[in-house]
Amino acid sequence: MAGRDEVLGATTAPHSAVGAKPADTWLERRTGLGALSGALLHVRIPIESRTWYLGGLTLFLFGLQIATGTLLALYYKPTPDGAYDSVKFITSGVTFGWLIRSIHHWGANLMIICMVLHVVRIFWQGAYKHRREVLWLVGAGLLVVTIGFGFTGYLLPWDQRAFWATTVGTEIAGSVPVVGDSLLNLLRGGADVTEATLSRFFGMHVLVLPLLLAALLAVHLTIVHHLGLANPKKAEPNGPEPGGKLKPFFPNYVLDEVIAWYAVLAILVILASVLPAGLEDKANALETPPHIKPEWYFLFLYELLKMVPRLVGIVLPGIALGVLALLPFLDRNPEVRPRKRPIALGIGLLTLAAIAVLTVMGAG
Amino acid sequence: MELERTEAVPAVPSVGIPAGRRTFLRWLLGFSVFSTLAMVATPVLGFLVPPKSTSNQAGGRVLAGTTADVPVGSGKVVAMGSTPVIVTNTAQGFHAFSAVCTHLGCIVAFDSTLGQIGCPCHGGVFNASTGAVVSGPPPAPLKPVTVVVEKDQIFLVNS
Repeated sequence: MAGRDEVLGATTAPHSAVGAKPADTWLERRTGLGALSGALLHVRIPIESRTWYLGGLTLFLFGLQIATGTLLALYYKPTPDGAYDSVKFITSGVTFGWLIRSIHHWGANLMIICMVLHVVRIFWQGAYKHRREVLWLVGAGLLVVTIGFGFTGYLLPWDQRAFWATTVGTEIAGSVPVVGDSLLNLLRGGADVTEATLSRFFGMHVLVLPLLLAALLAVHLTIVHHLGLANPKKAEPNGPEPGGKLKPFFPNYVLDEVIAWYAVLAILVILASVLPAGLEDKANALETPPHIKPEWYFLFLYELLKMVPRLVGIVLPGIALGVLALLPFLDRNPEVRPRKRPIALGIGLLTLAAIAVLTVMGAG
Repeated sequence: MELERTEAVPAVPSVGIPAGRRTFLRWLLGFSVFSTLAMVATPVLGFLVPPKSTSNQAGGRVLAGTTADVPVGSGKVVAMGSTPVIVTNTAQGFHAFSAVCTHLGCIVAFDSTLGQIGCPCHGGVFNASTGAVVSGPPPAPLKPVTVVVEKDQIFLVNS
């Protein structure tokens, strides 16, 4: 610890306004907030670290989803009779409603993209290895919860696409061996997709999943704060702290991160303006429209299910997810540099390629 | 050296950056922050303001009921569009008032024991013929509504 503080103290000394010694101000004497923020604004960042800001961007997009989601909830009505009309009203009746809804729609997509790229980055740099096993495991939980957000949120507009994608999606869950029937019943709140399903999905989407994500995120960030960023050039030693040159977290890294957030916000506004979120016909349980497809991030699963028996199509991704979550315990090679891990990277790249090919085939 | 690298970033004046440029950059940063806040606040505030809904107030005349519904010495609350209105029948004839209490917005009702209009929330009492405050906390009389009786039908006129 002493060594760590020394290095950090040296690197952040010139601009430690919020750093080691908070001013003895009126507020500080009563709250200690300066000391807290000073402690929080120290994260160990090796000079070799390359994050491409993907984790931070995912965090930013999650914050944006909370803000826009809260706004949407002010007008949204989670009943089959009210949902479709309220979404229509938000889109065409409320000032800037189309923008808020489209940002929520595109923000969800970008959040998935940033998160997947974040996972790929961590995998490529071997940053799931020694000392970061729990961090990775919590991250896997965040991945599952985020996908749950996409799945539950998709139903809420209650249009034909939403209704039938959910029907098919829950049907897939119903094919899981042994627990399938119970899972289907639990997800749908009955045998079919009805108003009970909508209530459940809405409750999951706005209460259960946000709380779950916030809790996992708190653990994830606390561990990152504790461990600092990984050095992609060097495996972490067993000793107390790895040495090496550091980069100040604040303001240097934070400033870069904020610039990345600005760029993504600009991309979001452009996407929302050029390709606003659409709305199909109102859900009709008696008529399946042609070419019904899930969200793009489920397309590989959709395509796989067309190719292999249903059981295989369910079990295989399940095993893959399990392997991904337990990766730090399965891959015992301590080396982090990509060219020293040909087998792990080979398997990883093959998996990614297979997912990409299946996604493209599913989209076609 | 790492130390040199980080010292260069906060740009202390002694490093040789002219004060004018520094001020300009600060101003630019402030402008960016301000415009970002404005950019975010504009759609959010616009979104929060509820859009004007098409008025669900019934226009013209509304049938409130028949004279048999409101015998002398009684009153009845009816809906005029989305506005509750109390129709009373006293010795002076038919009267109608907004049924929204002027105190804190509860819906008043005819109190047959008092022969007056009473508010269930805080005990305000209004005169059944004039709508004037008789007792209790209401600060103003009930707003009158024009009532027209044709044969045995009671109509409320929406102004």
